[in-house]
This record gives sequence, structure tokens and C-alpha cells, in this order.
Amino acid sequence: MGLESSKWAIIFLVCWLYKNVSCNSVEQKIYVELNNTVPCVRLLNATHQIGCQSSISGDTGVIHVLESEEDLEWPLSKGPNPPYMVLLESSLFTRSIMMKMKNESNRVAGVAVVVPNTSPPEFSPHTTCPNENTGVYSDNYGPNLAHCNTTVWNPRGNGLSYEEFDFPVFSLKEDNETEFIKQCYLDHNRAVNGSAPQYPLCAMQLFSHMHAVTNTPTCMRRNDINFSINPEMVCDPLGDYNVWGSIRPYNDTVFGHKENESVVIAAARLDSRAFFWEVSTGAEGSVSGFVTLLAAAQALREVTHEAPPTRNILFAFFQGETFDYIGSSRMVYDMENGKFVIDLDNIHSVLEIGQVALHSGNNLFLHSDPVSRRNNTVNDVVKNLVNNLQSSTAGLGFLLVEPNVSQPLPPSSLQRFLRAQPIPGIVLADHESAFNNRYYESFYDNAANLNLTYPSDLSPEEQLEFVTHTAESLTDVATVVARALYKQAGGDESRVNTIKADPKIVTQMLYGFLVSSNNSWFQAVMAPELKNILKPSPPEYYVGVAMSSTPTRLVQYLLANLTGAATNLTQSQCQKPDELPNESRQMYSYLWVQGIVPPNSTERDSFCVRASVRLTKAVSPAFELGEYASKDYSTWTESRWKFIKARIFLVASRDLEMLTLGVGVAVLFTSLLVTYFISTKADVLFSSTREPASAAY
Amino acid sequence: MNLERLPNEEKLTLCRKYYFGNVYNVCVWGFAFLPFLWLVNVVWFFKEAFVKPTYTEQLQIKTYVKCSGLGFLLWVAVLTTWITIFQHFRAEWGEVGDYLSFTIPLGIP
Repeated sequence: MGLESSKWAIIFLVCWLYKNVSCNSVEQKIYVELNNTVPCVRLLNATHQIGCQSSISGDTGVIHVLESEEDLEWPLSKGPNPPYMVLLESSLFTRSIMMKMKNESNRVAGVAVVVPNTSPPEFSPHTTCPNENTGVYSDNYGPNLAHCNTTVWNPRGNGLSYEEFDFPVFSLKEDNETEFIKQCYLDHNRAVNGSAPQYPLCAMQLFSHMHAVTNTPTCMRRNDINFSINPEMVCDPLGDYNVWGSIRPYNDTVFGHKENESVVIAAARLDSRAFFWEVSTGAEGSVSGFVTLLAAAQALREVTHEAPPTRNILFAFFQGETFDYIGSSRMVYDMENGKFVIDLDNIHSVLEIGQVALHSGNNLFLHSDPVSRRNNTVNDVVKNLVNNLQSSTAGLGFLLVEPNVSQPLPPSSLQRFLRAQPIPGIVLADHESAFNNRYYESFYDNAANLNLTYPSDLSPEEQLEFVTHTAESLTDVATVVARALYKQAGGDESRVNTIKADPKIVTQMLYGFLVSSNNSWFQAVMAPELKNILKPSPPEYYVGVAMSSTPTRLVQYLLANLTGAATNLTQSQCQKPDELPNESRQMYSYLWVQGIVPPNSTERDSFCVRASVRLTKAVSPAFELGEYASKDYSTWTESRWKFIKARIFLVASRDLEMLTLGVGVAVLFTSLLVTYFISTKADVLFSSTREPASAAY
Repeated sequence: MNLERLPNEEKLTLCRKYYFGNVYNVCVWGFAFLPFLWLVNVVWFFKEAFVKPTYTEQLQIKTYVKCSGLGFLLWVAVLTTWITIFQHFRAEWGEVGDYLSFTIPLGIP
């Protein structure tokens, strides 16, 4: 009995000790993982690779916080412990410093950029002439207008996004982790009174090994190789879906030219980019345009039901325009090859909404293509469209002005339509020549760039409903666009002045697209299975490779809710509407949306929306045709990678490492020798006392 | 297998088998041009052919060992040249280089 109880006592004691014992991993004591980092990745096109690459086992360098451009001498020539990992403040993230480091890249292991919360005066890593080789202007078409000879659209562009770096470049936020890194630098790496800093030094290691190399034809070829031992995909084409919707629905199974059908296309772009991967906010660059177009579509809903215009109006939102017009080139290609519901000959005119939120001086500008306007028919339609636009601004406090006639079109989707056929079109923008946007295609093009400010004492729900100045000015632009489109489509003149865009909707959209996408309105218009894409931060506008970008889905559901009709269908009927007599999935798309939460309950009032809103694939025709070296179409691909991480730790001097290794090897050989000697002399060393001769027999 | 214990004719048969490359009598391809078999032949039978005092079969064993040695050196030369050329120029050869490779390194040209 005593043994039993003592056994149990021991078991309980062991279990209790086990619970209280914790273990410490050696790795956690050495490395500090950095979690809020964003890498720069490698992108490839038909001829080049751009972006950053690290080595396969990461790049390690001694941290050096750069204080000024002259301080670059330390990592590049004077410092005694190369390679260095240079930590830059955003004011020092300039082309001259990055190019100097690129030239001495054997002493630079990598760069970390600290991105502050406030924006610098200007910064645009894009090129000065966006999409210059895939627009309409070339040596055959307006040669004096090509390559930004007359107007440089993005003069502040430093082209950093299109340079190739063979060291990793990461971005850090201004938070506790960055403070920790700077403290580590100050404690260990500072040179005291000109003498070299002593080991151990604080070092950072960045992993961002990219699989693809050289250019798109090479990486697509390597994707396709079948007989290698381990076939691996190394890159993916950029692309997503275009969203389009129309006033009168089209049968989604009947493609090609439609007789006697004349369509006015209203276009905007959806995407944007930045130097680092996926952090693109594109407030002025893309959000201003498509929010205006969504508001105009909503403003036209009622009047086009009561008094339908003669021509149809098609709202098109193109994805991938940043990367050589992926979405619009694909739509034009589909139209040319009879794979879209209408044809290029069905297009009457095009009105594109460019960057419209920063109009200083209360004027907006109507850009048109001077080369196509030399043709009188085209010129007449353009003049008519200009008139319709200018007369729609009555009572709204700003004017629409045409810039100098010999100026080319800014980078816009209309250029791809013009490449195929001379189509009359106008691009509406807030800049007369160079962009007003000081942060074109950069991570600073955010809500602050649009002066989108809310009073500080509002809750998120109140901020959603608060109508800001930006929202009001965009609402006016949307009203003008809606009225002009209605007139252009041959609608009833008497009803034009009843068309007004709703500022409430515009401000809710601006909040959702620039501040926080997880708000009650976006939750109400989205499908239940997609509610996880809504986050407390604004969505990312990078086109990406996964074909599931958040802005596309949001715009699809918003366009459906704003231009479509709510129906009484149940959820199962919504998935199979063809069983009902009046509904047809070929003419409309049926989307089951969550709906709002009524005040006195917790269940959502979900319903089925019927709208003529569709998604079409926006992958460059170069990948459909297999022409990976195409000069006509976008050939951008993004490399694949295994993992991306960053960590800091203290690193010892090379001499100490070699000494430790040497001592270890010496101990190994000594022990081998000793073992050998002991085993040969074993009988001498381990002889037991001789037993007395047991020869007793 | 300890060569010490084999009678001399067996040693000769073994050496011949390794030279011709038809060990285990799998098939009589003969001259299978197998460099590693030839290397084994040279290393294993070197003592037998050149160091041990003469016996009847030793002359034939010597021939086989010498021929194996020559063949092996030839192979080494050819392979080294080809490997150096391939590793150096694979990136420049583009498509051809990729189609000749079994495994293509990631992230470097």
C-alpha cells in the first residue's frame, strides 16, 4: 500500500514539474525576426528584369544608418567591415543614392527603407513617360508626339521602380521594430572618435530570393520544360479581371459585331503600383477615376430606366493598366477577334476618366488625340463630345477646358483603342500637361494626397457617412460625366438636369477604398463568401498574379448594387435563375449579397441582385498567343519565391569564426589520434590483473 | 572480396569482366565504356599487375589494367572538357542550354 501511494505521488510530482518547465530555443536568443517588412520583388518583361534579388541563403550585412548622402562613403569605401546593410530614411531614398549603391554592390548587402507616416514633398518611382512603348504614339503614328517629346507627363519620376538591383531592398514601417534596429546600431556599430567599431556588430539578414531571371521568354520557357527532374514554375503573368457593365444588357454568349448597335464606352482604370511589392494605394492615380465612374453609373440608373437613350452606355474598369495596358489591350484584342459582346465598329465614342481629384484652379481638362482628329468624321464626334461635356458643367462651379490642340493623349486606356482603330475619345483629367499628382505610382499616393481628412472625434461609422470636400468635388465631376454620357448616348435633353450624383455614395466609396474596406456599407454589398477580403486597412491596388484582387471584386459588386436591381429571389433561385420564366443568366448576372443588418436584429437581410455586370479576363494577349517577346502587348510577369523574411542579430568577426572552426577541427583530430593510440595499446592500458593460472586440472 | 584468396585464373576472369563491363554475365555488350568500372579495375588490380612477382596470367592482367587506365583517363578528359564548357556557356546558350539541362538553378541566369 505504501509503495502504491508513493508511486502515485511520484507520478503527480513529475506531471506537475512537466507543466512548469519551459524550454528556450537557442534560435530565439540569437535572432530577432522583423515582421512588418515589405520586400521589393522581381518583375520581368520581354527584354529586361527589374526589381531586387537576394542570394538563396539571404544577404547579411552590418547595419549602417545613413545620415546624409556624404555618409555613403562609409559603406561604399571607408567602412572596415563590408558588406553593409544600409538603413535609409525616406528623404534619402533617392535615385542618386540608390544608383551609387547599385554600382558598388559588392560592398552593399541590402537596403532597408524606413517609410514614415507623413509624405515627403514629392516622390514618384515610376518613369517620366509611363507606358511609352505600348501606347498609340510611335514612329508611325504621331512621331513627334511619341516618347513624351512634347509633354513629359510625370516629370518627378525617378525611374527607381524600373531599375534592377542585385541586392534586396525592404521597407520598414516607423514603429517599435525600427526603433529597436536603430538602437542596436547605436549600441554596437557606431564608430567612436574615428576608430573602427569593435565586434560583435549588429547585422541584418534579408531573404528575398527570386526564382525567375533574364526576361519573360526565358522564364516562361523554364516553366514549360517537362523532362527536368523537378519541374518548377518560376514566374507567373500579371493579370486579373476587367469589370464591365452596361445600361442595356447584352447576351453573354453572343459575341462579335452587333448590327445597328452603337455604344458609348466610359472607362477608368483600377490598378496602381509602388516600388515595393503590393503596397499600392493609388488614391489619385486610380481610385479617383473609378470612384467617379461608379458614381456616374449610379446617377444614370434612374433616368436610363425611365427614358432610355438611343445608344447603349458601357462602363468598363480595366485592370493592369500600369503594366503596359494589360486590361485594355486584352479587351481590344477580344473585340478584334470576335470574343467580346461588341465589336470595335460598334463603338461610337469613348470617355475615359483619368486622374480627377487634384484640380487646382477649378478647371478640368479634356485631352484628345490630335492625330486621329485630323480625320473630319472623328473630329466632329470629338467636338460633339466636348460640347456635351462643357454644357454639363452648368451651375457646378468649374469649367472643362481643352488643352493645346497639338498635345498628345496622356497615358490612358483610350490609347489602346486608338491603336486598333481611329475612335473618337476624350480623357478627362485634372492636369493640363504634367500630372498634378506628386506621388504617381508610389506608396505615398494615399488618402492624405487627396486631402481626405475627417474630424478627429468621429467613430469609424460616422467617418463613413461624413461628406468630405474631396467627396463633394468628385461628386460634381461624376455629375458632369453622367450628364455628358447621357447626352452623348442620345438621351432626352429635358431630363439632363435631373441627373445628379449622390455625395453620400461618393464619400462612402472614398472611405472604403482609401481608409478602411471593412465598413458596414461594403459588408452590405459584398457576397457572404467574399467578406474575408474586407480588412481594416485600404485594399491593395497591385494587379498581382493570383486573379483574385480585392479592388476587382469590390468594383464588381458595387457596380452591380449601384446599377442593378434588387430582386425577390431566394438564395437557391439566385444560383439557378434560369428555372424562372423571366430571368436569364445569359443576359444578367445574379449575385447574392449580404445586405444590411436591420436595427432590431442580428441577421443580415441578404438578397439577390440582378445586374448586367460581367468580369472578363484581363491577361495580356501575349500570353494567349504565346508571343512572350511581343513588342505590341504587355509581357509583364512576376517571379515566384519560396519565402521572404528579415531578421537581425549580432555577428562576430571573421577572425573569431575562423578561430572557433580551427579549434573545433583541431579537437576532432586530436580525439581521433588519441582514440587510435588507445585502441592500439589497449591491451597494455586495460590489462586486468593476471588470474592465477587455473590449471588445477 | 579478398583477392589474396582467389586462384590466378579467377583473378584474370574478374579483371577481364571489369574491363569489358559485363559483370554478372548480364549481357555481352562488351566495351560498355564504363569509366568507373575501369577505375575500379585499375585500383583493385594494380598490385596484382605490377607489384606482385610474375605468374602466368599476369601479362594479360597487365594489359587489361593498362587499357582500363587509358580508357579512364580519356573519359576524364572528355567529361572535364564538356562539363567546363557547359557550365560556362549554359546561360549564353539560352534555349539550347535549358533543353540540355536536367535541373536548372533558380534565380541565376
